[in-house]
Amino acid sequence: MSFALRDKVMLVIAVLLAAVYLFPLYWMYVTAIKTGSAMFASPPSFWPADPQWSIYRSVWESRNVGRYLWNSVVIASGAVLMIAILGTGCAYVLARYRNAWVDAGLFLILMLQVLPASLMITPIFVGFSQIGLLDYPRTAVILAIAAKSMPFFVVLVRATFMSVPIELEEAALVDGNSRFGAFFHIVLPLARNGILVSAILIFMQAFGEFVYSKSMIQAIEYQPASVGLNSFMGPNTNEWNNIMAYAAMYVTPILAIFVLLQRRIVSGLTSGALK
Amino acid sequence: MRRLLLSISDGRGFDIALVSVPLTFLFMMAGLPLVYNIVMSFQEVDMFSLGTFFRPFVGLKNYATLFSMPETWPILKNTALFVSASIAGQFIIGFGLALFFWTNFPGASWLRGLFLVSWVMPGLVVGAIWNWILSGDFGVLNYLLRESGLITGNIFWRSDPSFSLWAVVIANIWLGISFNMILLSVGLSTIPQDLYEAAELDGANVFQRFFTITLPMMRSTIGAIISLGLIFTLQQFDLFAAITAGGPNNSSNVAQYWAWDLSFRQYDFAQGATISVIMIVFVMIASVVYVRSTRHEVRG
Repeated sequence: MSFALRDKVMLVIAVLLAAVYLFPLYWMYVTAIKTGSAMFASPPSFWPADPQWSIYRSVWESRNVGRYLWNSVVIASGAVLMIAILGTGCAYVLARYRNAWVDAGLFLILMLQVLPASLMITPIFVGFSQIGLLDYPRTAVILAIAAKSMPFFVVLVRATFMSVPIELEEAALVDGNSRFGAFFHIVLPLARNGILVSAILIFMQAFGEFVYSKSMIQAIEYQPASVGLNSFMGPNTNEWNNIMAYAAMYVTPILAIFVLLQRRIVSGLTSGALK
Repeated sequence: MRRLLLSISDGRGFDIALVSVPLTFLFMMAGLPLVYNIVMSFQEVDMFSLGTFFRPFVGLKNYATLFSMPETWPILKNTALFVSASIAGQFIIGFGLALFFWTNFPGASWLRGLFLVSWVMPGLVVGAIWNWILSGDFGVLNYLLRESGLITGNIFWRSDPSFSLWAVVIANIWLGISFNMILLSVGLSTIPQDLYEAAELDGANVFQRFFTITLPMMRSTIGAIISLGLIFTLQQFDLFAAITAGGPNNSSNVAQYWAWDLSFRQYDFAQGATISVIMIVFVMIASVVYVRSTRHEVRG
């Protein structure tokens, strides 16, 4: 009896904590639908009296949100595709062998994972401009993001491959499969879920990427949503309801994916970060 | 040729092919820039020599210039302050939350997962939201602080030089709490429960149990999380771009933003590369600590 009561009290506190923590998110959605005067009212109202739903349509059209989001999707998909194709095999090999070479490779990959993008962009930008890659700005950003995020993907997917029993693969080899066949028909299907979750995580990261896009994409028609949001927020802006509406349109698809796949994403993240 | 093909489809060559392509790619896209960065920090780079590889070498001149600039030391001090305040805030709040959710009530793991929402949000969106919350005249944080009696006048978080760095720190702590909490929860769940039962039988109170069991058992997790926190806070760029842009008058500028600002706002690529080299050394040290504290797991 008292245990049930304790559970309820804990649950109430937990919900309160989550509400406090997620307040900024709520504040974004509420501000977005406030009128210009309600936004600057003092004291601020925490519940919109007169919701302006039409703001989404007007911001979508006036700020070209569709084009920005499309560029974000193109860049994120390109990066994920590249990372998945290159990284999966690498993770598989690193999961199957244990020797000094693998340790060294893993160490190198962990080291690359930590290089801050804002520091690496200087040599990447100069190098890319010298080989003419900046003429294809989205490709350049995709390559840079792929290099930046691949280590994280490899670490996550390696953990997945380690959970695929090696005996299954050996059995397939005994039955006459080639290494090639065993990898594509046995190991890869078994690791599919882990690879998918890791790819989604990488996608969400790449979808919000800012430093590389800001530095390398000058042409406004190729810029992703993060750069668009940045140029929307001038130093003395006061259109906060429009900015919050833009932000809401940008972040809602990601939040939807997150809520749907929450359990898998959380377990994927935790398995990778401490291994 | 046939033997090579056979090896690739059915032998050692298969593994080597799988691993060599991505490693070559990583080497080209991360290894070479790293080397190039160091080379550039010893060269004179301007807009005209940007296109050529053969620029005049100037030795340590870039480093000398860097440390003679009046803003260098304040910015490095800001970086240290930003990193330590962010890590301390994230870790303490995250640990508190992890301990709270560890008590295991129905719905705990689901609610805990909800906190990770901040981790998947684009940094620019987080920055935009906090920019609005921290706004001086109409910001909701100032309103809440005023109502609770903590302050009497509005704090101009973004434009007051003595608060601008803290504006970014607050946003960064919010961003990092969830990650700290989830990783600490994982660490907590690996502590065997019978240790606590034994301690309880011996009459240890909550604090004794915390300091004699929880903390010692979490040592390697805490080491890993603090070094990860160091790595992540040194990567933090989006919040600076979205909230203060390093201003006013460099009062909220940190090294990783300054390096970008020098390269892409003032087109001083050599100076930007020089700061990058210095900061990358720091990040490398942090990552060695991180790898060492998780080594037993890496080796499996």
